[in-house]
Amino acid sequence: MIITVTLNPALDKTYWVDETHLPLSVGEEDRIMRAHRSLSEPGGKGINVSVLLARLGMESVAMGFLAGHTGQIVLRGILSEGVSANFVWIEGETRTNAALMLPERQAASLKVHEEGPTVPARAVEIFLAKYRHAVARAEYVVLGGRLPPGLPDDFYHQLALIAAQHNVKTVLHTGGFPLQEAISAGPYLVKPDIREGAVIGDEAVSTEEEIISAGHHALDRGAKMFLVSHHVTGDVLVTKDAVWELDARVTLSELRNLVGADDALVGGLLYQLKKGEDLESALKFGMAAALASSEAEEKLVRSRQAIDAEMERIEVRKRTPR
Amino acid sequence: MKAHEFMRKDLTSVDAETPISEVIYVMEQSGLSSLPVLDDEGTLVGVISERDIIRAALPSYFDMLHSTAILPNLNQLGRSLERISQRPASEFMARDPVVVRPSDEDLQVAQLFIRRRLKQIPVANEAGYLVGVVRRIDLLNQLSRGGILRDRR
Repeated sequence: MIITVTLNPALDKTYWVDETHLPLSVGEEDRIMRAHRSLSEPGGKGINVSVLLARLGMESVAMGFLAGHTGQIVLRGILSEGVSANFVWIEGETRTNAALMLPERQAASLKVHEEGPTVPARAVEIFLAKYRHAVARAEYVVLGGRLPPGLPDDFYHQLALIAAQHNVKTVLHTGGFPLQEAISAGPYLVKPDIREGAVIGDEAVSTEEEIISAGHHALDRGAKMFLVSHHVTGDVLVTKDAVWELDARVTLSELRNLVGADDALVGGLLYQLKKGEDLESALKFGMAAALASSEAEEKLVRSRQAIDAEMERIEVRKRTPR
Repeated sequence: MKAHEFMRKDLTSVDAETPISEVIYVMEQSGLSSLPVLDDEGTLVGVISERDIIRAALPSYFDMLHSTAILPNLNQLGRSLERISQRPASEFMARDPVVVRPSDEDLQVAQLFIRRRLKQIPVANEAGYLVGVVRRIDLLNQLSRGGILRDRR
């Protein structure tokens, strides 16, 4: 079984407008932009991975915290995709994350992310009890996204340790301190979230050399694999005996929506690894899933066929260290 | 159509040790009027409903609720609920609850809804783990759109 954990889920609301005319001109007080299209989808890294897996026909259980009416909408969205849901209900409202797609800039968007409701101590206890039961019967756990208010920075570390006790492979897909804290729990795959700056701890990860160096540090601390976005259409994977360069042969003008592409990469990769495929095939499939998702207007690719169609545009190169 | 095809994969549940006050909270937040109860291992051991809680608070009046003769005093109901608020779900749940298997037929499930007057029934697999819940309204919805009838040859 695969479990995905989204501790601070969101309702992802996307708007498409004809033009924004940003920035506001001098003397202008406000502006109304009319959306010719909008879409509401359940969101959050773990949830996105579950949805991607479900679209490929693979089951998973999504766990985390939900609140209020927005939480009900998110739950409904998750269930309608064929994902099993085992969330803990808390007070308040699950957050809404808005993305305004900028027609003037291909695939770029202006985002407003809410913080999310505070998780009370009792809800954390209930979640941990459910998590322990679930993990005992799982093969993979995906820990993804920002921590909500109310949870300590070492929470992912705690969850990764519980998973390690049951020999469950953990995929860690987050950033900042929570990522740093959790690496020592020996996660199977670390995919740092560097959307807010190409830095992990105090290490820069802009060039390939920097990524390899940061990767080796993470591996020394217990991680088995380290996967980082290198540029818009490429990633680098560092394992103890190799460095893999992953590239999508695509022009930026073909990209429509980059939101969720990272999660499609993790989902696609996990899908093939669970089926027993070798790492190289799994990486290629993951990148194809990310590419197919980026070319779609919606967040995540809808079909297996769309992913397969991209496979020949993915290059996977293995470099063994000197 | 089999149960797993129209079940809702919502695994919302409470534990045998969950206090009644929390059971009520989960019911209110999730919109479910009855909840599966799981044991330490995570297997399904019971179902607790709003009726079970009301009956627990007002045992002697409960049987008379079907007549209009007596309406319980609400302050009394409030006090009684307070008395049982910290008691565990296991104390008032229905042990040996009606459970559906993922492979059960829609007709079997429909008969359970009607005969037992249930709005939702937990679905558990062979090992006893909760995998979803079948809801009467979902079946009703499917039937009114002709979905199930289309499957029948």
